[in-house]
Amino acid sequence: MVLWHKNAHIFNNDFDTVSLAFFNRYPNPYASHVLSIDTLSRELDTEGKLHTTRLIKKAGRLPRWSKPFLGRISESWIIEFSVVDPRQLSMRTYTRNLDHTKIIQVEEYTTYRQTERKIRSTSCLSQVKFSSGFNVGIRSKIEDWSRSRFDENIKKSRLGMAFVMQELEKSNTII
Amino acid sequence: MEVTRSGQVDLEKSMGNVMSASFAPECTELKKKYDDCFNEWYSEKFLKGKSIENECSEQWYSYTACVDAHLVKQGIKPALDEARKEAPFEEGGAVKEKD
Repeated sequence: MVLWHKNAHIFNNDFDTVSLAFFNRYPNPYASHVLSIDTLSRELDTEGKLHTTRLIKKAGRLPRWSKPFLGRISESWIIEFSVVDPRQLSMRTYTRNLDHTKIIQVEEYTTYRQTERKIRSTSCLSQVKFSSGFNVGIRSKIEDWSRSRFDENIKKSRLGMAFVMQELEKSNTII
Repeated sequence: MEVTRSGQVDLEKSMGNVMSASFAPECTELKKKYDDCFNEWYSEKFLKGKSIENECSEQWYSYTACVDAHLVKQGIKPALDEARKEAPFEEGGAVKEKD
């Protein structure tokens, strides 16, 4: 079974700030479950776009219904791909979990874009896909969980990004 | 927008000196050096169209050598190697379709 959730948001910041904050979004007070983040590769392509692959480790926060299948899980790993187009002032990101994928796979596609060069405003469109190999019995539990998980996570991730940008801008005005 | 070394320090201070950690504690210091270099290059050169190559290679090689050496010992390595072959923006690019 597959479920999609969507969310759109506008940051009142320019693309430079938003994209820099994306690369520096951990740690922040709204992501205390994130344990580490490492860059695995970073390359410029022939069009001048920057491609980055990173590995994130999170403390386990799996739903209660998964316990019979998984027992106690203390951590999970996430892969993150991103592409920055500095000319278009846009960035695309993709993340998914690397382990426990048979129980649930959570994939997030996000696009950040500054629509006009002179306006400090960057749109952020997220689409999250939940897929599970389980079809019978626990479907409604997965649906409920994925919905509340999405709502909660998207809120925290926006707050975390806003926090990091505030800190970046604060340090900028000091300089 | 400018990000300097002092900017990074301020960011850490406000978060209770929590450094952005590597999964391998031995690599965290090298990661910080690389991240500092990257942030400055990204803001001051890349976004301004002033650089067509990543200038942090020295910090990068030290950091990735450390990460690679520690990654081998992690159980996640095979799943990670598989995932790294993916091209998520080319296939099933949900956002691309609905842009």
